[in-house]
Amino acid sequence: MPKAFLVDTTRCTACRGCQLACKEWHDLPANATKQRGSHQNPPDLNPNNLKIVRFNERMTKEGVVVWNFFPDQCRHCITPVCVDVADMAVPGAMIKDKKTGAVLATEKSAKLSPADAKAVAEACPYNIPRIDPKTKRITKCDMCFDRVSAGMQPICVKTCPTGTMVFGEREEVLAVAQKRLAFAKERFPKAHLVDMEDVSVIYLLAEEKEHYYEYAGFM
Amino acid sequence: MNTTRRSFLKLMGVSAVGLSLGQLGFDLAEAQAYASKLKIEGAKEVGSVCPFCSVCCQIIAYVRNGKLVSTEGDPDFPVNEGALCAKGAALFSMYTNPHRLTKPLYRAPFSDKWVEKDWDWTLNQIARRVKDTRDKDMVLKNEKGQTVNRVDTLFMMGTSHASNEECAVIHQAIRSLGMVQMDHQARV
Amino acid sequence: MTNHWIDIKNSDAVLIIGSNAAEHHPVAFKWVMRAKENGAVLMHVDPKFSRTSARCDFHVPLRSGTDIPFLGGMINYILEKELFFKEYVFNYTNFAFVVGKDYEFNDGLFSGYDPKTRKYDQSKWAFEKGPDGGPVIDETLKNERCVFNLMKKHYSRYTLKTVSDVTGVSEENLLRVYDAFCATGKPDKAGTILYALGWTQHTVGVQNIRASSLIQLLLGNIGIAGGGINALRGEPNVQGSTDHGLLYSSLPGYHNLPVSTWQTLADYNKANTPVTTVKNSANWWSNRPKYVASLLKGWYGDAATPENDFCYEYLPKLEPGEDCSYMYVMDKMYHGKIKGGFIFGVNPMNSFSNTNKMRAALDKLDWLVCSELHNSETTDNWKRPGVDPKTKKTEVFLLPSAHRIEKAGTISNSGRWLQWFDKAVEPGGQARNFADIFVPLVNKIRDLYRKEGGILPDPLLKMHWTEKFDPEEWTRRINGFFWADTKVGDKEYKRGQLVPAFAQLKDDGSTSSLNWIYAGSFTEEAGNKSKKRDASQTPMQANIGLFPNWSWCWPVNRRILYNRASVDLNGKPFNPKRAVIEWDGSKWIGDVPDGPWPPMADKEKGKLPFIMTKDGQAQFYGTGRVDGPFPEHYEPAETPLDSHPFSKQLSSPVYKFHTSDMDQMAKAADPNYPYVLTTYSLTEHWCGGGETRNVPNLLETEPQLYIEMSHELAKEKGINNGDGVIVESARGRVEAIAMVTVRIRPFTILGKTVHLVGMPFAYGWTTPKCGDSTNRLTVGAYDPNTTIPESKACLVNLRKADKLTEIA
Repeated sequence: MPKAFLVDTTRCTACRGCQLACKEWHDLPANATKQRGSHQNPPDLNPNNLKIVRFNERMTKEGVVVWNFFPDQCRHCITPVCVDVADMAVPGAMIKDKKTGAVLATEKSAKLSPADAKAVAEACPYNIPRIDPKTKRITKCDMCFDRVSAGMQPICVKTCPTGTMVFGEREEVLAVAQKRLAFAKERFPKAHLVDMEDVSVIYLLAEEKEHYYEYAGFM
Repeated sequence: MNTTRRSFLKLMGVSAVGLSLGQLGFDLAEAQAYASKLKIEGAKEVGSVCPFCSVCCQIIAYVRNGKLVSTEGDPDFPVNEGALCAKGAALFSMYTNPHRLTKPLYRAPFSDKWVEKDWDWTLNQIARRVKDTRDKDMVLKNEKGQTVNRVDTLFMMGTSHASNEECAVIHQAIRSLGMVQMDHQARV
Repeated sequence: MTNHWIDIKNSDAVLIIGSNAAEHHPVAFKWVMRAKENGAVLMHVDPKFSRTSARCDFHVPLRSGTDIPFLGGMINYILEKELFFKEYVFNYTNFAFVVGKDYEFNDGLFSGYDPKTRKYDQSKWAFEKGPDGGPVIDETLKNERCVFNLMKKHYSRYTLKTVSDVTGVSEENLLRVYDAFCATGKPDKAGTILYALGWTQHTVGVQNIRASSLIQLLLGNIGIAGGGINALRGEPNVQGSTDHGLLYSSLPGYHNLPVSTWQTLADYNKANTPVTTVKNSANWWSNRPKYVASLLKGWYGDAATPENDFCYEYLPKLEPGEDCSYMYVMDKMYHGKIKGGFIFGVNPMNSFSNTNKMRAALDKLDWLVCSELHNSETTDNWKRPGVDPKTKKTEVFLLPSAHRIEKAGTISNSGRWLQWFDKAVEPGGQARNFADIFVPLVNKIRDLYRKEGGILPDPLLKMHWTEKFDPEEWTRRINGFFWADTKVGDKEYKRGQLVPAFAQLKDDGSTSSLNWIYAGSFTEEAGNKSKKRDASQTPMQANIGLFPNWSWCWPVNRRILYNRASVDLNGKPFNPKRAVIEWDGSKWIGDVPDGPWPPMADKEKGKLPFIMTKDGQAQFYGTGRVDGPFPEHYEPAETPLDSHPFSKQLSSPVYKFHTSDMDQMAKAADPNYPYVLTTYSLTEHWCGGGETRNVPNLLETEPQLYIEMSHELAKEKGINNGDGVIVESARGRVEAIAMVTVRIRPFTILGKTVHLVGMPFAYGWTTPKCGDSTNRLTVGAYDPNTTIPESKACLVNLRKADKLTEIA
């Protein structure tokens, strides 16, 4: 059965438990960062951060402050373009696991030429894959494939305190998503589920994606 | 970049090309290689508590051959139900960080460096200073002749990082030494 | 917390004020969101729009240091509109007590003020006494000196306009909060107040909390599910370390340290044991002598006998009124009056106010013992930037301490749950837990006394101590033992067996307990209850999220304090849908009630619910605080105003401060320091950051010191987002990176624009290039009850930096 995530941003407090848990589970080292006038750090996904929380603040015309949080990660697309593009160059560099729906960058991704790797990365409608300059591998969220295969939840989902993240069988998660959407709509009329039919990681946003992040949604 | 992505998806997406071999999940060996690396497999589970705020989330420490392998929230604990914040999620690297103090250190008056010392020497030196100060500065009676049995030149600060048992030990020790100047983070 | 973490979900209105719960208690926010799911309204009142505000229904920006006007306005609103819960107020509070004729309040000053000593004579505020010495109660409220009438008069001054003028909160926003929260004054509604250091770190810190008590009592929100005044306690075991009294004036279990005027145990007990004339008051503190005797028995064992006052003489005695809290200790140190001491697991050279003075003070010590996980600004003070170590005399012993995961024992969470933790791994390197440092150290000192003799050796040599620390042995000592064979009911206990509960503690030397509130946590019958992991509940308990069989909670496993106030005189829950306890005709069901007595309808045996107060009633008016029986607005010690409309008394007349050359303060409305600074922590670092800055993955997320400011102020000062900024107060200078944000806005106060900026205090020089202590700016002015410094409000100036040296 394919799996799915729900990321209900109306519940996210940007505690970054997910961001840190991901790093710790994957034994990823820290980057040297600087304060640049934002809480969003590291500023972008990178080979050492497969998941980051993006922060977006503004004051509305009515004078209300809105601060949106977007825990960004691979969407594990139902039909992942990255896999198609990689297949043309190095078959097996990017794979999709049939059982879980996880899209994985394998060791073979290191064999992609720099141009092909770049093409794989740029093919992603959500701006997810990054190329590790050291190993040349493509890096991105792997759905904690080791944990999920062992019947456990991805570490980000398990760590999330507020119920922002839900993980399970796709059908079940879709049902939760619809329920959450109905609840969110009471307060946020523009609430919607992002690209639900095409992805395994479904975001519930309270308003237009522009108010979260350029690549928060595709459609 | 956005245009590129859009055109790619149009070109390569479901309608245009259909399912490639990769989409069918052909390469199961690769997937299995991924799955075989569960790092906590076979590790002993030990229950502990996150050392930060007073939510006191319970955690499970995974230990193999006496070494910490990983830490996660305890899903059975009714308060955190397995969840953790950024700090709690980073406990493993907190325990393994390279800046940890591992030996007693001594800085002599006017010195510009630390010197490593053993515990016995260090505790003997401290005991000497505590006793000498206590003996010299113990006030048995105040100006009114009332018994006060206190030392005003020694102090203790800390700590809410201590367990209840450590707090009990510290409090008893401090009062028996005659110290009144004791405080900790409850007042910060 | 009067309640506990899970209980937040039972709330209909969650008022987060003086706390940034989502950032500082992130996992607790699980339960706030659960309340939201159940239909609660979430409100955040705070100077800054934070991650907490982002998830609340609305955020109300409030100028730092004006919580009392904000809350006073709500009290006035409740009283004017009669929104209070009458049955609760009439039955369970001192609303009808008559206050004595000496009480007065004139233009910001209560009666009994002495400007020379900056102290009140609190006896002037005493209640009227009846012929039996007990309270005079006028339930008709005809007497204008009834508490209720005085309260009404006092808060009638807190009009919407005045409150709005001073706080900077629009009247519309005031009403939004007041309406939403006061809707919980109904029997079937619950409102909770979540606060933290945003309230305590003010010169009126205690009165902030008192003001919330007034509101919660008026609305009948104490003792009920989803209600309460919930201090979100910060530090890992700060609940436990407070319970165990690691405070100068405390003994474990909330007893005072003796003072010189209490020469005997009888003197002590007389001064500390309240006596009531109210028949149905439980007056629980009347049991204090049993708890103190049992503590002394625990410390001195067989040496403690009734004949020698259980070695009471050995205890050090303070002079009355003497303050030995850390700011006073540091001041004495600065003046060269302290020789040596211990700083364990705390980093005063970064996290205490007015850090430049702290750092200079530490230089004056002859010797210092630190125990830490990492080098800190405190351990390495002698080589801080700008000083030559060769000029610093202090001898430093730095002892590596063990992580939580490397030791076993118990901690107490904010909801008072006693949680056991096991040792997972051996301490790293040669690190030791704190007790494995203190026990051998004390034993070495004891050996020296045995060998050499010395002054007053008996307190050390005669104490009931140990050769080697075994954590669970101390869990047992905390619970307490029988020291003589004893029969309880028909059960016999032998000497050396554990006491089953604090009700069995005695003042005759037959029992010990190192902390009476923990008695019952470890028993012969049930073992170590902190280890309990049983999620079973009755349906009634499950309904409100009580887990009575998971761990144990003080007192006597009571999960919601004052729960007898959740029921009417017949023991029936005010809100049957969220019942905490209920009298079934012969016994209580649900939570453990506040005492076994039947409901108050039983005129003989029934007891009032507020069992820890002398007369059993909750106190709208209280004489115990040194700064007044009612909360009153005073500006912070450093204020951007030179007057305010509540009174001529600008700042608290009794706040504490020091006068050394390093204790400079800006004058009121000082043009040299025009901006309000508030300070805080952040999710990814722990307080002063001593631990978390050393965790590379956490430092990655929040690497350097920043200052949050409004776009308006940034524009005025020519500062862009990400620029370096120099911030200065009357005490110090700090570098930070500008974070220009819509989340901080200018306030309009009495018609004038007041800018506020905010900075975290998690950064220090031992982590290279991340910035240094923000507390070099904060003020040495303290709450007069607790001596907590006003780190939440001081005055600063700032400018764009040409060059940064502390941050790179």
